[in-house]
Amino acid sequence: MSAPQKVTADHQAEIAARVKAVEAIMIEKGLMTTEAVDRLAEIYENEVGPQLGAKVVAKAWTDPEFKERLLADASKACSELGIGGLQGEDMVAVEDTDDIHHVIVCTLCSCYPWPVLGLPPNWYKMPQYRAAMVRAPRRVLREEFGYDVPESVEIRVWDSSSELRYWVLPQRPAGTEGLSEEQLAALVTRDSMIGVGAPKAAA
Amino acid sequence: MSSPGPLVRDETELGEARRRVQDLVYGLPGGDGQASFREPWELRAFALAVAAHNAGQYEWSEFQLSLIASIQQWERDGAREGSEPWSYYEHWLTALETVLAGNGLLSEADLDERTRTVLATPRNANHHEAHREPVAIDPAVR
Repeated sequence: MSAPQKVTADHQAEIAARVKAVEAIMIEKGLMTTEAVDRLAEIYENEVGPQLGAKVVAKAWTDPEFKERLLADASKACSELGIGGLQGEDMVAVEDTDDIHHVIVCTLCSCYPWPVLGLPPNWYKMPQYRAAMVRAPRRVLREEFGYDVPESVEIRVWDSSSELRYWVLPQRPAGTEGLSEEQLAALVTRDSMIGVGAPKAAA
Repeated sequence: MSSPGPLVRDETELGEARRRVQDLVYGLPGGDGQASFREPWELRAFALAVAAHNAGQYEWSEFQLSLIASIQQWERDGAREGSEPWSYYEHWLTALETVLAGNGLLSEADLDERTRTVLATPRNANHHEAHREPVAIDPAVR
């Protein structure tokens, strides 16, 4: 029996491994399919976390010193807000500007800064997403995501690995000068932190 | 992309699926929406239990009773010092293991063995170097 305060990263890793083991055994025995589990998880994938990333983005939009710290060391800056955990150890936030737009992918697996962004959406884990985005980012953003990045803006695609996980600090939408941090956070979408969409416009 | 992208995803269908799952969990302790997910494994464990039930591996009432039993056990132990802290989805996982084992679909020994294997395998075993430059650039035309 562990002591009450011992809800450690180790413990989380152990139990996460146990869940994986249950799944592996069930799939092997043909008790159900991975697709069926994925479909169910997809219903809720938006609820594990992207609001945390939104909080970080809104703070960066309103607090230039925080933004500086975020861009220098995203993991450390996030931990100021109590955000961190498994797979969030080495995060890099890349900042969108008028001239450069960023998108994140993962080459070999689905490395993803989930303490900030929550669970990766299903399409992020598909090899097709990664391959197409690396080959023709501008076209994929326009055709698959309905997100038109002007020709005058360079697009950089960043490859996350288990050592370094990227996420995007989107640009603050125009006309949001009077909004509070909380109101701003509501404009930040998961897709805008992956780089496949813009934040919502001010209401 | 040949796979469905976010634009073609049917939000209505997702909403329908969600309502069906909500109906299922409504009668559970914590099933009234109080038990949100804090860790990815929690969502995975949640999805596993519902998927196994959907696939006809057990009656939902079996799972429900098992979950209640696990929580009651914890409450009884809770009076003692040094007992484990509250984690709804750990009870959920315990309930899933118990139901599967009770139906002869899983042995605890197999599961312990497999868990050790998972822990011994590094995450993304062949994916450990940091990539410090963009993997692709689409230049600006100005």
